[in-house]
Amino acid sequence: MNDADSLPTWRLWGEEKTEGALYTVYLKKVRYHRPTKSLSSSSYSDSDDEISHLEWETVRVRFVKAGTLKKLVEALATDDGELETTYINVFLATYRSFSNPKEVLKLLLQRYEELSSPSVNGNSENHDQHRKTLISALHVWLDSYPEDFKEPTHHSTLRQLLQFCEEYLPTTELEAKVRHRLDKYSRETYAESPLTPPPAFAMRSGGNISWKTYRLPEVPVRHFAEQLTRMDMELFKKLVPHQCLGAIWSRRDKSRSHEAATVLATVNQFNAVSFRVISSILVDPQLKANERAQIIVCWIDIAQELRVLKNFSSLKAIISGLQSNPIYRLQKTWQAISKEKIELFDELARIFSEDNNQWAQRELLMREGTAKFADTVGENDKHLQKIFQKQNNHTANISFGTIPYLGTFLTDLTMIDTAIPDTIADGLINFDKRRKEFEVLAQIKLLQGAANAYQLPEDAMFDRWFDSLLVLDDREAYHLTYQIEPSSNSTNTNKVKKKTTGHKKNDSIASNSSSNSSQFYCDFDSTPSSPHNSIDRKLSPSQMSNSSSNSSLPSLDVSLNSSHSSGANNKLQLPSVNAGTLSPNHSLKSSPDFYIIKVTYETDCVETDGIVLYKSIMLSNNERTPQVIRNAMLKLCLEGNPDSYTLAQVLPDKEMVLPSNANVYYAVNTAYNLNFILRPKPSEDPLSAGKHSKSKTKL
Amino acid sequence: MTRPPNENLPTIKLVVVGDGGVGKSAITIQFFQKMFVTDYDPTIEDSYLQHVEVDGQWCILDVLDTAGQEEFSAMREQYMRKGDGFLLVYSVTDKNSYENIIHFHTQILRVKDRDVYPMLLVANKVDLVHLRKITEEQGRELAHKLGIPYIETSAKDPPLNIDATFHEVVRIIRNQPQADLEKRKKKKLQVLNKCVLQ
Repeated sequence: MNDADSLPTWRLWGEEKTEGALYTVYLKKVRYHRPTKSLSSSSYSDSDDEISHLEWETVRVRFVKAGTLKKLVEALATDDGELETTYINVFLATYRSFSNPKEVLKLLLQRYEELSSPSVNGNSENHDQHRKTLISALHVWLDSYPEDFKEPTHHSTLRQLLQFCEEYLPTTELEAKVRHRLDKYSRETYAESPLTPPPAFAMRSGGNISWKTYRLPEVPVRHFAEQLTRMDMELFKKLVPHQCLGAIWSRRDKSRSHEAATVLATVNQFNAVSFRVISSILVDPQLKANERAQIIVCWIDIAQELRVLKNFSSLKAIISGLQSNPIYRLQKTWQAISKEKIELFDELARIFSEDNNQWAQRELLMREGTAKFADTVGENDKHLQKIFQKQNNHTANISFGTIPYLGTFLTDLTMIDTAIPDTIADGLINFDKRRKEFEVLAQIKLLQGAANAYQLPEDAMFDRWFDSLLVLDDREAYHLTYQIEPSSNSTNTNKVKKKTTGHKKNDSIASNSSSNSSQFYCDFDSTPSSPHNSIDRKLSPSQMSNSSSNSSLPSLDVSLNSSHSSGANNKLQLPSVNAGTLSPNHSLKSSPDFYIIKVTYETDCVETDGIVLYKSIMLSNNERTPQVIRNAMLKLCLEGNPDSYTLAQVLPDKEMVLPSNANVYYAVNTAYNLNFILRPKPSEDPLSAGKHSKSKTKL
Repeated sequence: MTRPPNENLPTIKLVVVGDGGVGKSAITIQFFQKMFVTDYDPTIEDSYLQHVEVDGQWCILDVLDTAGQEEFSAMREQYMRKGDGFLLVYSVTDKNSYENIIHFHTQILRVKDRDVYPMLLVANKVDLVHLRKITEEQGRELAHKLGIPYIETSAKDPPLNIDATFHEVVRIIRNQPQADLEKRKKKKLQVLNKCVLQ
């Protein structure tokens, strides 16, 4: 153990084995005032002075290294029956890797019952102390991990505990606590009715901003950084650290994904920020390079404010977005950015350098994790130096929390989980592994505590802006980035084209149509040469991604249900879904054009007075009504059959309902804003609803 | 084995990619730890650095394994950009992980803006014979399609082909055509001019 190495007063003595447990034994030199009674195995004194002089003694300290679950539960108390406070913290934070709440509770209660029965030999006064300690342990458990007792519907673990209390500990504090907890959870179960509205509407209230919203790059960057930090902070405080454990997060199987829900929520927010950075830069291909550069600069400025706020999660998300390939490759855009901003960006990006096992980031977290404000800079970080100087001169009483990038902890815990065996010495649970894991969990907990220092305003308009931002899938992002800046080197493009079409590997794949993976490539050979061929070439990889249904690569696969409209692709991969909306094979090549439309959902069931909520979606030039409705439903988190909805463009004096199989791209009235309303069809008669909409149409 | 020479050795950056749960971390740990130890510390600076001798030439292997961060999909391209060579790992017990290899392959080529790049297809967990769902033939077929070599591994004790895997990638990197190297240098210069990274 490290303790032994770092503290000269600790010395490893050896191991000790008892039945069902293995201990590491240390000899520890401790200072103490003159003892009232002699406990020490060996002691000496410098002086006979009875009053003030310190003396030294050597005590034997035993740590459980490994044990059976029963022994590990017993080890919550020392031999004398005192609560092992450090041990219980480690145990409760990590036991889910090798057991579950029910099993541990059973053993705890069994132990209590054993200690209560007179048949057990040993002195009974010691037993009293042990029982008291078990009750304290239960209190600690209930207080620090309430979610362990929150099970769907019946809360059977909690009921079992209540039953135990009624028998052994009636009218005690513990019984009252358990009873109260059970009441509370039962009420919550009833309150959480399945009728909750879709998430897009769940938390929105107030405000009557119609289409007005923030628009990059003219946004208050500090405010934006604060709002991103508020979103991250809420998720970080809710993060359950033990869900990060390798045994839970990295060995996750899909059926148990709820066990790491708070980790997943953090990951999703990270990706959401990154994808919005990417889409905000690409979404308008008409921008000039310097206009697009201004949006990048705006994100760099937000990133800088995030650094000051010590929010490393969104900071890394923005850096990742700017370094993603569709953005990174936009040379002309980057060239339009001032040298100072590029240097600042480099300084910020250096924080997340992988060099030396993420040393920079680890060091920074160590220094600033619980500090009040950011002030750590590298020698070469001249821009950050200035920024911190300015900040720290201005506000004497600022105090920020810290939000870490969670991924580094997740990798560390995965590596610990891989490197250290779960069991040693004939199947004993390796508790030293859990101590190692706890070192990481304790860091996370410490930072969670520090996150309370943030005082951040809430801005509903920001949330709406964030939600409404278009998120491009992989295919769309590549489409746009190559539209904005085609491959710079034209000879290079030609080479690629030639090489790819005649490439040996493609031939072999195309010929092998029976295997699973071959469908990835199936429309390669059907691609005719066209002016946009280089774009298509670049797109084909993501078309491939569309075809794999069970991929776990979200960035590549977000497009699965959204807006792939390339006819060839759909025909081959999703025949059942898109059979009715097929457009000719040439779709992708004919024109790269598209519109961004805003879709609002209107329904009678949900109260949306005064709030206009919309989602932006991308509309390609061959998408028909059902496909567009499906895309809109996906963005609006609606489920069900696209046929049971209608889509209408909002015009100044009327609405134009789109016919059920219109090519929406050509049907829209581009003289006005591209605002749309999605409505469920009246449920009674779908046929008449269809007629109704036709009568309204002007097509 | 001879001792590593003292002069400056070339550093080779390897990136390990693949779905979560395919045993990437086990391959990395097995390579660096040789045997499972109890006082393993994942946070120290040189955890994933090692001197290796391949075909009589020494180099420093710097391995980046982001096991546990697979779902942070937005940052994948960022770390792919740093790799000189890649291990594309799937588990022979997990069909999805096999099918996803193509996405990693595509993404690496896209980030590198190249038609070929040093990669090795790694079929892991071959010790789990009874759970095996992807045959060697299927593995080789995929490798052939991608135009990259194939190797089968197990990180369980006794390990199979773990050192061989890392050594093979070093060879692939060393043997890539010089023209490609030139082009890469040019690319790197362009990036430098752009000042986006380092």
